[in-house]
Amino acid sequence: MTQSFDQPTVQVQPAQAPLLQLTGITKVLKGQGEPRTILSGVDFTVHAGQSVAILGRSGSGKSTLLSLIGLFDKADEGQYLLHGNDITKLAERRAAALRSAEFGFVFQRFFLLKHLTAAQNVAMALVNGQGWSSRRKRKQQVEEALEQVGIAHLSKSKPSRLSGGEQQRVAIARALVRQPRIILADEPTGALDTETGNLVVEVLLNTTRQGCGLVLVTHDHDHARKMGRVMELRDGRFN
Amino acid sequence: MLSGKFRSAVVIGGQGIRARKLRTFLSMVSLFLGVLAVVAVQAGSEIAERAMLTNIELQAGKDGTIMGYVPGEKGAPGIVESTLKGRTDAVAMISSRAVIGEPGVRPVNEGGMPFEYAGRGGDYGGPMVYCDANGTCTEQKQQEKKPAGQAIEVGLVALTGDIRPFKPFRPVSGSWLEFGSTPSLAPRIVLNEEAAKGLNQYRVPGEMMVDGATHHMTPQILGVVTDGYSQPRAYMRLDELRTWMPSSVEPSEVDKFRGGGTSLELYLEPGTDDLQQLLKSKIVAAGVAQEQLHFQVVKSKENMESELRIMRLIFLGMAFMVLLIGVAGILNVGLATVGERVEEFALRRAVGMSRLLLAGIVLAETLLTGLLTAGLAIGTGVAGLHVALMMFGSRFPSLEGTTFPWEAGVAGVIAGLVAGVLGGLIPAIRAARIPIATVMRA
Repeated sequence: MTQSFDQPTVQVQPAQAPLLQLTGITKVLKGQGEPRTILSGVDFTVHAGQSVAILGRSGSGKSTLLSLIGLFDKADEGQYLLHGNDITKLAERRAAALRSAEFGFVFQRFFLLKHLTAAQNVAMALVNGQGWSSRRKRKQQVEEALEQVGIAHLSKSKPSRLSGGEQQRVAIARALVRQPRIILADEPTGALDTETGNLVVEVLLNTTRQGCGLVLVTHDHDHARKMGRVMELRDGRFN
Repeated sequence: MLSGKFRSAVVIGGQGIRARKLRTFLSMVSLFLGVLAVVAVQAGSEIAERAMLTNIELQAGKDGTIMGYVPGEKGAPGIVESTLKGRTDAVAMISSRAVIGEPGVRPVNEGGMPFEYAGRGGDYGGPMVYCDANGTCTEQKQQEKKPAGQAIEVGLVALTGDIRPFKPFRPVSGSWLEFGSTPSLAPRIVLNEEAAKGLNQYRVPGEMMVDGATHHMTPQILGVVTDGYSQPRAYMRLDELRTWMPSSVEPSEVDKFRGGGTSLELYLEPGTDDLQQLLKSKIVAAGVAQEQLHFQVVKSKENMESELRIMRLIFLGMAFMVLLIGVAGILNVGLATVGERVEEFALRRAVGMSRLLLAGIVLAETLLTGLLTAGLAIGTGVAGLHVALMMFGSRFPSLEGTTFPWEAGVAGVIAGLVAGVLGGLIPAIRAARIPIATVMRA
């Protein structure tokens, strides 16, 4: 039995309930040409502390699935349960609140704001209109997040002075600063060399040891093998 | 307490402005002239209005004052004088005529005309004419003319009390009449600027002849004021004038000696209905017809505002055109900035910011820009006025004591905010519509 969300804060269901559960998700791209089915009846579940890798060729629907999980977009069909609550048809304002409270996002292209320092980039996730904490508390949260990814000493550096790996770790700290329940990482190692990529994957995997769910979209089979579960998307369906 | 959303919008807006200082500066430059135009027009019209009002009030009386006209007959002046004695909420003015200088000669400005017309004969060049209260005018006979001499003619205004609360005469030099002291036998007079000009221009003996008075008097000139009249006038206490008048003649009836008539002007504070009623009752009881008494509220502001309204609207319209150019500048910069910040906005939404707040941030940036510009424009206006007053203030006495009108400051802030909203609205809507998924996948 499911219940719908009427508050942006999460009502945690009993331990056996998955963090998120998508059932029969279909997404059709309606552009100027013929409608194209990107995802077709996809089922997907992640439990607390579980890491899942999603493999697939370009255009297979990996990123689209991640967008639906991260509430960037809405599915055309199917059901989306978060902690057992139905959030399939969520208003934009509620979706924004859930993105802030539940999810941490890591992207291939770090998306750091070049005019802000590493600490300010991390703090950006705290200054998003979803509640307000004092400057002191924000500073403490940011320091902890940077510590967690091992770059606390670079807090005052601007992105232009950081290496790719360091920038990605700042982005991970930004994802972690609100202590999310699920990390969604879209090819986070795509722009990094193998060694740095491994380091980043290790940092992400560390979060699952604290009970966080991790969904990693990647092309790299080595990184995928480090995850607890590997799924492959092909033509909008999981094999 | 401010909400988290509002604080977030201000913090992020401030960061955005700091990150794009040059763009913010360019936006401000384009907006500055528009806001300054609004501030200047508003300040100019307020100052002009105050200056005009001051000038109008010099003659007509302060806005809201109750002004009354009472015929100077059947003992009315005496009734008015005794009723108003010791009161500060009402003053009566009784006009007469005085010649300062050699006795028995024709004054250089016969008829009390301004001195620039002196020597051109009565009525500014035509024959001297006197009119009575009913409007019947008679020409002064040729044989009445006296030989020319060293004397000037002034309109003499006798006062029952201090008129300045009702007519804001501006002091030029010396002091004003003191009504608390014992009446002096040497009447103390205060001249208006035209009378002072005449005394300065013509060397005349210090002797004053007042129509109806039995003896010549030696006046003490206390000071000079600006009273808004172009004819020479002198002001004195009624009780001091009365000392020199025969007991049978009312000071207000002296014009009858010249074949004319006169009236009393009364100035009463608003809310003195009881006093007005008392005066009317007494005067009517003395035999003056009710319909000869006229009381009205002075509406200096209303009359002047209608004159200024069209001018103000025209100038404000022009200022808003300039402001619109500034708005277009902000809009242009705002749209370009949103185009550049697509990723930032998508990212902010990805980390939990709502569309509404994102739009609020863009608006907050343009509003802050508008407010900063307004502050600069107001500061420039204040400094400009200060400099202008230092340079030209002495040439325009009505500008004396002028300060920057707060209305202009408010208009500037409103103009800055409106420009911020107009210039930021479309960029804000565009920012709110950025699709996160598309941008973050790119």
